[in-house]
Order: sequence, then structure tokens, then C-alpha cells
Amino acid sequence: MGILRTKYFGEMEQAEESGFHFPLGLPAFEGEKRFVPIELPGSEPLLFLQSAATPELCFLTFPILVVDPDYELALATEDRAAIGLEESGQPRIGEDVLALALLSVRDGFPVTANLMAPVVVNLKSGEGVQAVRHDARYSFEQPVHGAVQPC
Amino acid sequence: MLVLRRKAGQSVLIGEEIEIELLEVNSQGAKIGIRAPRSTVVLRKELKTAGEHNRVAAELPPLEDLARSFQNLRS
Repeated sequence: MGILRTKYFGEMEQAEESGFHFPLGLPAFEGEKRFVPIELPGSEPLLFLQSAATPELCFLTFPILVVDPDYELALATEDRAAIGLEESGQPRIGEDVLALALLSVRDGFPVTANLMAPVVVNLKSGEGVQAVRHDARYSFEQPVHGAVQPC
Repeated sequence: MLVLRRKAGQSVLIGEEIEIELLEVNSQGAKIGIRAPRSTVVLRKELKTAGEHNRVAAELPPLEDLARSFQNLRS
């Protein structure tokens, strides 16, 4: 077992090398290759993505279908290859991949979800990539309505 | 903006050390090859935008404030 130091939850025990592996890191965080998903009981479907290397780095996410039930992925070939998806078609959310939207929480602003750059994890391999879309069909800052109240 | 028309296989030079070659054009888009010194950062522009949004997303407030933001969800 290893110890995961977290931004919000102190130290947690975890299996060595558990979590999602990002071969390319994330844009602006290229050196961060591993993130561990953490659920806070009672706060589902919110999912924290805690960096394994940097305790103070943690993202907050929603499954992308929670933000937009009709969301359609459009992974570029190179993004599919980065996480070992061989098929030529788009992966199915929930069956082939986990698709998460990173949330921005800023004082005085509505919570927004990044639908232009979903974090996509291959459910078979645990490899992930932030797949920035080539189209302009969605927003980088989609206000999250309904279930979520800004401060 | 300087606009040039190039065919597949033709290149553009930027300064002494950067070459951009148009490799292939089809209905999906244009494939380009870039030769540049290692010190030159080459980035799809949307990755830079995504990085800026990631920096904002990484600035999460303390858990108590988060709980206020998401109180409906927790109830």
C-alpha cells in the first residue's frame, strides 16, 4: 500500500500506482501523470481528481452526462491512440470510457463545466487523456444549472 | 495575417530554423509537418486555451466553501 496525500482529505491509503494514468498529463499540467478519483460520500456524482504527485492539486468533476445528458464525444485520432482505443469509431460513455467535465468554482460566479475538453478515461486500461475538441460545439465554461447552487 | 496558398508537399519557412510543410489535404482537414528547434514550443492553440481553463479549475476553494457551492447536491 502507498500513502496518497490529498488537498482535501488528508492522507489516504491506496494501492500503489492506483488511479488513472495520463501519459500526456493535462494541458498546463503536463508533468502530472497520475490522478486518483475520490468520491465524497453523500456528494455523488461529484468526483474529485487528486493528483498523485502534487497534494495541493485537485480537480473537481462531474460525469459529463450529468452536465449534458445528450453529450457526444468527438475524440481526435491521436487522443484515442493516447489511451489505447483501437477502434475507429467514438468510444461509448459508460461502456468504453469514463467521461468527466472539469468544474470551475469561483467566488461570485456560477459553477461552470468544461465541455470542450473532457477528461476521458479508458475503462479497460485506466489510461486517460484530456481530449480537447477540434470543433466548437460546446463551451469551455458551461454554467451548471439545476442541481448546483453557486455561493 | 499573411495568407499563402500551398499544395501538398510544399513548405513555408519562418525565419532560419522553422519549416512548416503541408503534407496532405482532404475533407477532414490539412495535415501539416513542423520542423523547429527543440526550444520552440509547438502547441495546438486549443491546448493552450484548455491549459488556461485548467489553471482556473485547479484553483478550488476550501472544502467548506465547496460544500456551500454544492449544497443542493449534498442534501
